[in-house]
Amino acid sequence: MAHLDQAPSQTRMSGTGGQVTSLVERARDGGREAFGQLVELFQEPIFRMVYYRTRSRMDAEDLTQEIFVKAFKNLSKLRDPKRFRTWLFRMAVNRVTDFYRKKRLLAIFKTRDHDSEADPKEVERRQDPSALDDVIKEEFWKHVTSFSDNLSRREKEVFFLRFMDHLSIREIAQVLDKSQSAVKTHLYRGLKKFKEDPSLLQLLEASRL
Amino acid sequence: MTKEKEAHLKETDLLQAVVDETDLSASLQEHLKTCRLCRSEKDRLELALAELGDRAEHFAPSPGRRVALPVGESTRRALSWYWNWRRTLVAGMVTAVAAIIVVYGTISVRNAEEAKLAALTQEIWEDELLMTEISALSENALPLFCSDISGESYPDFDEDFMNFVVPSTEADLVSSGGGGVRC
Repeated sequence: MAHLDQAPSQTRMSGTGGQVTSLVERARDGGREAFGQLVELFQEPIFRMVYYRTRSRMDAEDLTQEIFVKAFKNLSKLRDPKRFRTWLFRMAVNRVTDFYRKKRLLAIFKTRDHDSEADPKEVERRQDPSALDDVIKEEFWKHVTSFSDNLSRREKEVFFLRFMDHLSIREIAQVLDKSQSAVKTHLYRGLKKFKEDPSLLQLLEASRL
Repeated sequence: MTKEKEAHLKETDLLQAVVDETDLSASLQEHLKTCRLCRSEKDRLELALAELGDRAEHFAPSPGRRVALPVGESTRRALSWYWNWRRTLVAGMVTAVAAIIVVYGTISVRNAEEAKLAALTQEIWEDELLMTEISALSENALPLFCSDISGESYPDFDEDFMNFVVPSTEADLVSSGGGGVRC
């Protein structure tokens, strides 16, 4: 495993830094096509990032759409094009937080939230997990949920950004507007709980074999 | 053997190493480089974390639809140029209309003033005429034919002539020596 302060999968998931910077500069000058390429590069990571937190494909698609529209409208406000990735993730984290805030509020008033309706395909899959892959998938997410429920909100955010979204500690600090040492502290606590969760650890080790 | 065991990384150090290896003390970093046991323990944890990321990515669905962007910047610019052009045209037209109103207004006001002045002049002239007539009337209120009757229109009928026609009663009193009857 590469040094954890680096983001090894950045190139794989969102192009090279230079390419992104160039695209951001062009998009900032009104290049719709350049922004389209940025969408191509970042749609999947952002979609996944939202999905990890909402576990709903429909919600993840809607929120991803909103995040990119907001990014498109506010791109001129981004001072440093090199920070596009962290800027986008920050927007995504804030949007997910807002989503849950709204959901909690609706739950208080017991208002039917159409947005939170389960994806019919997902419901179907849950009801009929015939394929082995689906069973494994179900099991995996069940363990992840169980583990993440033991984490505090900040620990969970830092842990997910680091190990599931593959952001570096420096990037996480920028996304959450925290110091790197604060990020490390939360990460340490999250890791401790991860190591103390034998079921998830065993599941991961078993799947590697 | 005991010494070697004591020198191994504690769990807190191990977690610290996973978070950021450079945060460990120099001696612990050195130990981690050389100790196979500690290294494997750290690698084991890091592999599990890498597996967590890979599995999450693998088990997450792909987005079903592509992000749809709002009206593009280029279109917005074209629209903004169009609106600017329209705005300029409208502003120009408004300015032209305003100029026409100002010019027309100025001319109208000037014309109105001239007309007013002419009317005033006419009025003054009429007033003067009226005053002349009034003065003439105050001097001689009778119409001309009445003047003929009264003899005012005959310049030869002076006072002597009138005294001759109608003598003064005072003259009668003088001639009768004061014994006459006084009226």
